[in-house]
Order: sequence, then structure tokens, then C-alpha cells
Amino acid sequence: MAHEHHLPDADPPAEREPSRRDALGLSSTALMVAGLAGGYGLFAWVSARFMLPPRTGEVHQLFVTGVGELAVGSTLLYRTPDGRTVNITRLAATGRADDFIALSSTCPHLGCQVGWEPQNNRYFCPCHNGTFDPSGKATGGPPGDAGQSLPRYTLTVQKGLLYIDVPSEQLSVPVQAGIVDVVTPQGPGHDPCLTCLQPRSRAGSGEEPA
Amino acid sequence: MSTSRDWLAERVPVSIEGLAAMSNEPVPYHLKRWWFALGGTPAYLFVVQIVTGVLLAFYYQPAPATAYESVRYITEDASFGWYLRGLHKWGATLMIAAVVMHQMRVFFTGSYRKPRELNWMIGMTLLTCTLLLGFTGYSLVFEQLSYWGATVGANISDSVPIVGPMMKQLLLGGEVYNDRTLSRFFILHGAVLPVVLILVLMMHIGLVRLHGVTELKFEGEEEKPARYFNFFPEHFYTELIIGLTLMILLSALATLLPVGMGPRADPLVTPDVIKPEWFFYTAFRWLKLFSGTTAVLTQGLIVFVFFFWPFIDDWLVRRFKYADISVWVGVAGALTIMGFTMWEALVAH
Amino acid sequence: MTLDQKRWVIGGLGMLFLLSLVAVQWLEVSRRAHETGDRRASAASTPATSRQCVDCHTQVSRGIVDHWTGSTHAEKGVGCVDCHKAEARDADVFSHYGAQIATIVTPRDCARCHPTESAEFGQSHHSKAGNILASLDNFLAETVEGSRVAFSPHSPTPGKAVQAVNGMAPANSGCQQCHGSRVAFQANDGGLVTMNDLKPDQNGQPTNMDAVGRIVKNESGKPLLSSTSWPNTGIGRINLDGSLGSCAACHSRHDFSARRARQPENCGKCHLGPDHPQKEIYDESKHGVAFRDLIGEMNLDARPWVLGRDYSAAPTCATCHMSANTRNGMKVTHDPGERISWTNRPPVSLVMDTDANHSVVTETDPQKRRVAIADTADAKRNRMKQVCSTCHTPDYINQFYRQYDDLVIHYNEKFAKPGQAIMSALATNSLITKTQYDEEIEWTWYYLWHHEGRRARMGASMMAPDYTQWHGMFEVAERFYMKLIPEAREITAAALRGGRAEPARRVNAVIDEILNRPEHQWLLKGAEEQADAINREMQRRYGQTRQER
Repeated sequence: MAHEHHLPDADPPAEREPSRRDALGLSSTALMVAGLAGGYGLFAWVSARFMLPPRTGEVHQLFVTGVGELAVGSTLLYRTPDGRTVNITRLAATGRADDFIALSSTCPHLGCQVGWEPQNNRYFCPCHNGTFDPSGKATGGPPGDAGQSLPRYTLTVQKGLLYIDVPSEQLSVPVQAGIVDVVTPQGPGHDPCLTCLQPRSRAGSGEEPA
Repeated sequence: MSTSRDWLAERVPVSIEGLAAMSNEPVPYHLKRWWFALGGTPAYLFVVQIVTGVLLAFYYQPAPATAYESVRYITEDASFGWYLRGLHKWGATLMIAAVVMHQMRVFFTGSYRKPRELNWMIGMTLLTCTLLLGFTGYSLVFEQLSYWGATVGANISDSVPIVGPMMKQLLLGGEVYNDRTLSRFFILHGAVLPVVLILVLMMHIGLVRLHGVTELKFEGEEEKPARYFNFFPEHFYTELIIGLTLMILLSALATLLPVGMGPRADPLVTPDVIKPEWFFYTAFRWLKLFSGTTAVLTQGLIVFVFFFWPFIDDWLVRRFKYADISVWVGVAGALTIMGFTMWEALVAH
Repeated sequence: MTLDQKRWVIGGLGMLFLLSLVAVQWLEVSRRAHETGDRRASAASTPATSRQCVDCHTQVSRGIVDHWTGSTHAEKGVGCVDCHKAEARDADVFSHYGAQIATIVTPRDCARCHPTESAEFGQSHHSKAGNILASLDNFLAETVEGSRVAFSPHSPTPGKAVQAVNGMAPANSGCQQCHGSRVAFQANDGGLVTMNDLKPDQNGQPTNMDAVGRIVKNESGKPLLSSTSWPNTGIGRINLDGSLGSCAACHSRHDFSARRARQPENCGKCHLGPDHPQKEIYDESKHGVAFRDLIGEMNLDARPWVLGRDYSAAPTCATCHMSANTRNGMKVTHDPGERISWTNRPPVSLVMDTDANHSVVTETDPQKRRVAIADTADAKRNRMKQVCSTCHTPDYINQFYRQYDDLVIHYNEKFAKPGQAIMSALATNSLITKTQYDEEIEWTWYYLWHHEGRRARMGASMMAPDYTQWHGMFEVAERFYMKLIPEAREITAAALRGGRAEPARRVNAVIDEILNRPEHQWLLKGAEEQADAINREMQRRYGQTRQER
């Protein structure tokens, strides 16, 4: 701090016109602050947006089943790639998308799995006896008291095939491929127990290459 | 209002006026010549690098299996990822360019001379840190050139006598590039080097404040009365202008010359052309002109001269009785470095 | 610069910075919108039922998984089990790591999701290609070239233990790889079990359980296919579930790429060669030349791919014969026969008036013909003209068809019907044996109509003048005049010498009548004036004459 010289005034001429200078000073300051706040503020928003997961708004249509393979009144349980389970129920037989309704099978009360009861024409949650009508609106139990309903997924039918709309953020988990589980309670189905045999035990199974 | 100020004053016992006086260091008028602001430029860019670097680290994964994919995710999937990555990459280029320009300004204005020799050496340390940041940063992308550039760099440091092999082991975490190498580079790039740089920078700025900025007077110039202006707000505004100009420039570069993804690193495939980043072209070209130990030793000598230049300059001036000898040495050096850089840039091998 | 000025500058720069960020935001939004269309199954959603398949097969047969991962099936979440799943009562079902699957996926399986395409394909000639058993070609491959009965080798093959020689090899590796095999299991009596034995019902499941019982299985219960019939992706494969054909023949597995099926190389796997060089013809034609040059503008990945809307640079095989265009309501057909007005397959080309079974009506009586016809050749031609008119004007198209009709009819009348008459006469009069291909004239006639005659007709149909002329009518004419006629004369001369005068005279009468027709008269009467004209021109132009007199 060696220099203690007098600090000259940076704006000598304008001093003579205080009001204009004030006005000028005020507006130039205002613009400066606005410019700085706007520029760096928007940058801060860009950074914040970057930190949040990308929102493509893009939706992928995933194949569920052929329209003819689900009988009226029955339900199949579908699992989206990021693990959410969805009940897809068929209510009519016109062959259009509005025959079907896709509702999350997770109860909005405390997260138990909700099942379709064809004999009672309702969805039922066994944990606290929550019930839902076919459109997903809660009719009894704790979710009914809270006025909750089951979240709905969009379905489309193209060329006799049923597709469910899944947001693309829910599609990929980079390291491990997504998981979809299809269990048809009615009629002949696949054996869902695929946990028994691991690929590495091939050597002992005697299975010849296809 | 005053009660809240009193409330604060009781808990943070510092005098505002005293602070203002301390910070409002008067700045010599010639500093208004914009190229004296070249010191603040790399400092500002360093802040940009820290901010963008921290943001990028939200998504970057420093493991060989997933590093490339995480960079791809940033570039292609994350919102504005391409932009922030672009800012970071161009920020690195501009920062190094700004440091070099600042160093040139200091050199050609003789501001390293007594009593500021130590600050020159501290500045050289800052330059080294910046270059190492550039080197380690690029290695993180895990493209072909990242991997092979790191391998070649480590092998070059290996050829330094005595300490070389240990330096290589320290850098790679082993004899060759392995699974632990990338984490090393990441820690160096993201933690060790930035902290070292900040600490050394504080020393650098501290010394500048203590000594004051060099008065510049051309030969034959009239002796004018010394004039000063306030650091705050005048010079601060200058710095703001520089900062905003840099942000606009960086935005433009990130947008018009976006950063892409080269091929993924493959330890089994050596690319035909391995080159380091542009700021190492001179050294690379030098090493290719001379073989092995000669190259490394001569380069070490050059770095030594750079480092201790104030003392060498002092000796030269006394020996040749010519104050401006440094200017000619500087011009020759600058042209050589630029020539070597261009040469390396234009040829494949 | 005054303080005030500095403030203005800072404000201005701040605004500029803000604007630059707005530009960045705009770029980000448009980049996202653009990427939505481009994004493929880098986010492949593997159904859980197929996840184990994918995990294991990524190590065992990685190519299959890699192909599938890039496909539309993967994008839509259709996995391995969705196509390969089999019912417990299917003939070819077996348990594979807990899943009930079958190796071969047939059009019946594809029809679960693609019923329209499967049905169209099922009614087309493509699916019937496996039924060449009743045609000459099969006798050629299985008996003349091969042997229906296995036989013993006549000397050892060093380095290989050969028990019996499989005489069906020419058919298995040759004809059937394009036409399709009759899929067969190994039977425990050493024979084969095919669809004929299993007698599948309308669900594709076998009704003859004895046949099922004869199928050889390995230790894990997997039924073993015979190497005579698998691997085979022939387009007319006769499957165990009764369905005909293979969708994978054009839409190669496991990516089932529509893009590939749109390109001529795909059809060219089978539609090429001396007897039906459609691929070579296309390559020669202007259509093919344009395609090669403008392949970058063909928009081959478009979904859907409509001529006149998504591309118009050049047509491929698929464009004309199957694909959608703006004039036919953008409808694709998997039955190429819908647009073909001549069938050039038989010795004498026939007009493609088809009946309800999509077979050519051979009835000659006009009244009966009218009753039998379900779809006329004209209707088919008009469907093809819809494609042509995307690029060509009506006069151009109609005159072209006139040229084409003229060539086919000319070939029919000048060479094909006469040739057929001569061969019929020889057969009726027992001057050639009943056995095919045991006499040279039978090969000559075969070459004439099956190879050269087809080349000429197909060359004309797809605008390839070299195939129409030099590989076509030139060789037809040479074959007829220099081979067929002289060989027939030799046979009658030998018959005369051998004491069979009456049959010989009858055949000679047929030949004479043909050669006295105006179009053949040049041969017997001579064409000396034309020869002189040629000689003069050759002398004038090249200083070379045919004969030095």
C-alpha cells in the first residue's frame, strides 16, 4: 500500500449538471445491473438445467401384446424398463385403444401392489383394503379417504398391436438394459421363473448349441 | 436498517471503512491501457473453468469402462451439456493463451526485474500448473488421443534422468496405463492442481499488491505526474467488461465450434498420428527433432532458463551493458515457439 | 473511458451475453427436437422374458444380439421370446433354459403381429416357391444332377470317413436355398418327418401323433432337424406348422431390416443368373444406373417409404413390385404378383388373368374364362402403371408396354410355340424317350425357353436391351436355327433309317410347316440380297468382306 496519491474524479465535466448526471448515472447503472443480472442469471439457469436430468418430452411406444391376446375382463401386468409396474385391463372388445386402460399398479397410499379383481370389477390393494374403480379412482380404504387415484398410462393400437407410451428417460439405464416383465394371468403363459439357470452353468446342462 | 448493521457489526467485528480503504487500492493510470488487464484475464477464465468443471463433474465418471460414455452423455444427452463442455474446453484454450500473453506482457515490460524476481518464478509455477491442468483434463475424455497422449507423456517423463521413472509411476499408478490411472488424472485435474493453483495465485496477487504494479515509462517519454484511479469501481468495471467479453467469446466458440467425440480409447490400436494438445506442440516438435536424453535434457535446460530468467537477464544486462537485450531474446524466443507450434500443427509426423 | 461509459459498456455486453445464451437455448431445443427423430435403440428395452436370452447370447452368438439391438423390434420392446415362443403342443417346441421355444420362426409366427403382410405373402407366388417338386426343375436337381437314393462312394476320400453319398445335396444346397426346403426332422427309423407326416391343423399343431412320436430328440428334449432341410431360409419354405414361406428370406434376421429389403441386392440373392437375370437386367437398365448414382437420395430408412413423397430419385425392385406410392393410396403389398401382367416363367408366356386362388387361368373358352377370372392382367398392369406414372407420362408408359407386349408375343409366336410344337410332335410320335434330359434335344429346348427365352422376355420387361438382344433373342434364334431344328432333323433322319418312316414323316411335316412360315422363310429361301448389302457395307467401312469371290 505504498501509494497514497489523491484519487482523481473520473467524471469531472458532468459534475456541473447534477440532475442530468444523476439521471444518466442512474440509468447506466440500471442497465449495467440489468445486463449483469440477465447475462449471469441466465447462465445460472443454464447450469441448473444442466444439473437436472434431461427432459426430452419424447415418448417411446413399447409393444405390449397383440390386441387379440387379451380377453375382455382380464388384466396383464406390465413392467416398464425402469421397473414401474402397470396393470393393463381390457374392458371392451371394439379393437380400439379405448378398450384398454393402463394404470400404475402401485397403490398411492403406501406403495403396495394393486391387483385387478374381475369378479368385483375393481382394483384391490391388500395392505389396507384400498379399492379403486375400473378408471383408477379410489373408492374405499385409505386412498379413497385421501381422494387419490392410480396414475394412468397412454395406450395406442396400431395394426392390431397394443403399445404403451413410456417417456424416454425411463428407457435406458446405460449400464444395464431395461426390464420389462409380461405376465398374463389367464391362459397359457410363459414360465416366469427365469431365475433358475444361469448362463455360466451351461457347461453342465448338456444343452447343445442351437 | 442501522440496527441490522449494528447487529452484524457486533458479530463480524470488522470496519467497513477500513476494508474499503484496504481494497480500494489506487491503480496507476497506464493500467487503463487494456493490455495490463491481461493478468485478470486468466484469473477470470480460471473461475469459469472451476464453475464449468464442477458442473461437468456431476456427470463425469472417472473409470475406464464408463468415462467415454459419460462424456458422450454430457455431450449428447444432458441439457446444455454440449455447451458447458464447450465452455470448459475453449476456456482451457483461452486461459492458456491468456497466461502466455500475460507472461509476454510482463516479459516485455521488464516487470520481472528486481525486486519482482520471485513473483516471476511464482508465475512460472502458475504456468506449469495451467499446462498440467490442460494435459490431465484432456486425458480424462478417454478418446484415443487421450489414452495415447497420456501414455506418450508418461514415457517422456520416464526419460528424465534420476526422477523420471518415479514420476512416471506417480502419474500412471503403475508401469503402464492401467485401471487406476484415470482416477489419478481425475484427482490431479479436479482437486490437487486447482488447489495448488489457487494457493500459488494468492501468493502471486499478494506480491503484486505488496510491490504495486510496475510503472511503465518508454524511453524518451516525458515524465508525467503520477496519476492513479480507483480499483473500485473503475478497474473493477474494466475487469467486468473483460469478463463479459470473454463469456460472449466463449459462448460463440462453444456454439460455432462445438466439441465432438473422437474414437474411443483402444489400448490395442495405436493411431497413426498421436499429438498432444496444441499448447504442447512446441515441446513435442522439439522432442522429435532430438533423440531421447538429449531432447529431454535440453528441454530441461530451456525450462530452467525460463524459470530463472530474472537472474539470467540481470547477468546479461550487466555483461553486455544493454538494458533492452531481453526484448530481443524475447522476440527470438516468441518467434521460435510460434514457429515450432505452427510446424507441428501443419505436419502429421 | 469515463465511469459512466464503462457502465453502459458493461450493460451492453451483459445484454449481448444474455442474447448469446438465448441463442444457446434455441440451439439446445432444436437439437433435442432433431434427436428425437434420430434416436434409435441405443436405449434398447429388452423385455424381461428375453433378458436372459440376451445376456447369454451376447457371449455365445454376439452377432445375433447386435443385429437385434439395432432393429425396430428392439426399439419397440419385441424380444427373442416374442418371436421364438412355442406352444407345448407344437411339433418343434423344446425347453431352452426354462423358455418354451422353437428354432424356426414361420410366417404363422410373424402373423401374430403382422397379419396383413403375412396373408398377402401367403397368397403370392413367393410363398409357393417351395412347391417345385412337381416341376422339371426338381427332376433336374434331384435325379439328373443328384440322386433320390443315397449311394455308396466308389473310392475312399482321404481325411474324411464317407459312409453314404447324399444325392439330394444339389437340391438342398442349390434350388432349395432360394425356393425353400420342406422342413424335416430326423426320424428314429432313419427317415424324415415333415409337414406331410405331421398333418397340422389350422393352428399349426400336429394331428398325427405317431409322426410326432417318431421324431428324434437329443438328451435335453430338443427335436433334431435334418440337415437336408435346415439351415434354410428359402422364400417358399414348407414349414412344419403348415405355413408356407419365410419372412426372413427378404427381411434378414435378426434385424429384419426394411431398408435392406428395399435394395436390389436383397432380391438379387435369388433373382439372378442365366435363367432369370432380373438383378443383372436391373443393373444394366437406366433405373439401376440412376439408383447406384443417387443412392444417397433414396431415403432408404424412411418409415414408411413412399415413392413420390419420400423419394423419387430412382426405383428399386421393391419400388415397382411391392412398395407404396402416392398414387395407390400409399399401400404396400407383399404379393408382387399383384402388379405383373405377363408371366414369363413358362415356355410360352401367359397373360396373367388369375382366378380366386391367384393361379393363372389357362381356360381358352372366352365364356368360361370370364367366369373364372378374379383379377385381370389389365388390372395388374394398371397397378404397375401407377408406379411408372410417378416419373413417366402416359404416352411413354403405354408405348413402352406396347414394345414389351410386342417382344413377348413375337417370342411366343416365332420361337416358343413352334419349339413346343416340334417337341410335342417328337414326343407324341415316340421319337424321343419319355424320360426328360436324356437326349440332347431336350437340353436344347430347355436352354431355349428356360434360359435364353426368359432372358429375352425379362430383359424387355425391365428395359435392358443387352439382355433382350444379345443374351436374349440372338441366342434364342441361334438355339432354334442352329441346334433345335438340325437336331430334330437328325432324329427324324435316324428314325427313317431305322424303319420308323411314318412317325418321322409326321414330325418332318410339322417342322416343314413351321419353316415355311413367312417369318422363317429366310432360312430355306435364302436372303442373298441382304447378304450383298451387308458385304458392301463391310467393305466400305472396314475393307473387309465375308467371302472373297
